[in-house]
Amino acid sequence: MDEQFIFSKQYRNILPILAAVSLVVFLLAVVLSGSGSARIWSNILLNNQFFLGISLGAAFFIAVHRVATSGWQTVIQRVPDAMTSFLPVAFILMLLIYFGMNDIYAWADSEVYEGLTGAKKIWLNIPFYFVRMVLYFAGWIFFIRMMKKNSESLTISSDLKYHNRRKIFAGLFLVFFGITVSASSWDWIMSLKPDWYSTIFGWYVLISMFVASLCFIILITWLLRRMGYLKVLRSDHVHDLAILLFAFSIFWAYQWFAQYLLIWYGHLPEETSYFIPRQHEFTLLFFLNLGINFIVPFFGLIRTSSKYNLNRVAAIAAMTLIGHWIDYWLLIMPETAGTKATIGLPEISMTLIYACGFIYIFFRTLSHGPLIVKNDPFLQESLNYES
Amino acid sequence: MPYRSQKKSIMDNKDYISVYFDDEDPMLQALRRLKENNLTIIDVLTPFPVHGIDKLLSVKRTRIPVGGFIFGALGGILAFWFMTWVFTVSYPLIIGGKPFFALPSFVPITFEMTVLFAGLSMAAGMFLRSKLKPDIRFKPADERITDNMFVIVIGSNANTTRESIRTVLSGISIIEIR
Repeated sequence: MDEQFIFSKQYRNILPILAAVSLVVFLLAVVLSGSGSARIWSNILLNNQFFLGISLGAAFFIAVHRVATSGWQTVIQRVPDAMTSFLPVAFILMLLIYFGMNDIYAWADSEVYEGLTGAKKIWLNIPFYFVRMVLYFAGWIFFIRMMKKNSESLTISSDLKYHNRRKIFAGLFLVFFGITVSASSWDWIMSLKPDWYSTIFGWYVLISMFVASLCFIILITWLLRRMGYLKVLRSDHVHDLAILLFAFSIFWAYQWFAQYLLIWYGHLPEETSYFIPRQHEFTLLFFLNLGINFIVPFFGLIRTSSKYNLNRVAAIAAMTLIGHWIDYWLLIMPETAGTKATIGLPEISMTLIYACGFIYIFFRTLSHGPLIVKNDPFLQESLNYES
Repeated sequence: MPYRSQKKSIMDNKDYISVYFDDEDPMLQALRRLKENNLTIIDVLTPFPVHGIDKLLSVKRTRIPVGGFIFGALGGILAFWFMTWVFTVSYPLIIGGKPFFALPSFVPITFEMTVLFAGLSMAAGMFLRSKLKPDIRFKPADERITDNMFVIVIGSNANTTRESIRTVLSGISIIEIR
C-alpha cells in the first residue's frame, strides 16, 4: 500500500539524452531540408497543443470523477494528478509562440487582418490573443493547483474537509474549463484559418484531448504495472479505463462526423475550404485518422474480455495516442504549411523532444508523493471495486 | 435480479428457506458465508443489479451482447443496402447536387438502424431467455420481494434447517428467515 514511485537514475539520464539527440536531429533535419522558420513554429505549436491537451485532459478526468463522487479511479489517481504538472511548462511554451506569430497565424499579417470582418477584428489581434492566453492558463493552473493541494493534504491528514474542498474546486474548474477549452481551441487552432469557423470545433478538440489523455493514463498504468508498482490495480479498474477509452473514441467519431456531414451537405465554399485540402491533399492521413481513432478502439475493445486485459488495452491505447497526434497534425499542419506539409524527421524528432520532457516532468512529480493517497475517502471503495 | 426462471417453484415455502435483508452489503456478506459452508443457493432476488454478484453465484456470462452485435451488424448492413438500392437503382434522385451514392448522408440512418436492431434484438433475447411473455401469472410468496427486500433462497434438507442457517449467518443483520 505504501508504494513510492522511484524515478530511477536510468530513466532520469536517458530522457534528457534522448531529448538532446532529438533536438540535434530536429535542427539538422530543418536545416538540411531547407524548410523555413514556419516549419519550426508549426511543430512547436502542434506539440504544445498535443501535450497541453494530454495534460488538460487529465485535469478534466480528475474533475469529472470528483464531481460525480466516483471512487474506482482512486488507485490510479496519482497518474492524472501528476500529468497536470506539465501545465506551467506548457504556458511558457505557448508564450514562446509570440516570436512565431507571423509564421503561423495568417491574421498576424496586417493585410489579412484588414480583410477580417466584424467581431473577428476585435478578437484576433496579438495583444488580445496573449491576454486571453494568460487568462486561460491562470485559471487552469489555479484550479488544478487547488485540487492538487487538497489531494496532497490527504496524504498527511485524514480530514474530510480537504476532500470537500477539492470537490468544490473540481466543479469550479469544470465550469471554467468548459468555456475556456472551446475559446482556446478557437484561438490557437481554428484561427489558423481566420476566415473559417465551425461551432462544434471546441468540443471536437476537447474530446480529442480527452481521448489522448486517457490513452496516456492507460499506457502509464501499464508501464507502472510492468515496473512492479500498482499492485492493488485489478482487472476491474482496467475494465473501467477501457470502457472510457471505448466510449470516448466513439464519441470522438461522432463529433468528427457531425462536423464533416454538415459541412459536406451544406457545401458552402467558406466552410468546405477546411475539408477540401485535408481530404484531397492528405487523403491517406485523413482516413487513417478516422480508422486509427475509431475503428481500432471500437473493434479492439468491443468484447468484454478484451476490456479486462491490460496488455491489450495498452496496445490499443498506444495506437490511439498516435492517432490523436495525427488528428492534431491534421488540425494544424495543413493550415501552417499548406500542401507541403508532411510527417518527416522534423515532426517526429520535435514530438520526441516534447514527449521526453513531458514524461520527465510527469515521473518527477509522480516520485514526489506516494503512489496511493492513503487517506483518500474513496480508497477503500476503489480497492473493493468490482466493475 | 432472478437469474433462473423458476419463480413459480419459489412460491411454496416448503423446500426452500428464504433469508431477507434490507441492504446489499449484509446480503453479499451472507452469500459469501453460505458459499463457504457449501450450502445450495437456489436464487437471489434483489431490487436492483448488484455489482459482483454474478461472480459470487458463478453465473455464466450472458451471451446477449453477442446477439446484439450480430443483429446490430445485420441492421446496419440492411439499412445501408436498402438506401444504396433506393438511391442508385430504384429511384435515383439528385438531392442538393449530391451524387446518387451519397455515402456520408447514409451514415446517420445506418447508425440508427444498427442501434435499433441491436437494442430490439437484445430486449427480445432477454424476454426469450427468461421466458417472460404477456399474460404471465405470478403470485410472489411474499410481496416484499418485489419491493425493497434482498432475498437469498436456499435449498433445504435434513441438515439445512432454518436454525442451522441462523447459526451460520450469525452476526449479519438479517430481517427475517422463513
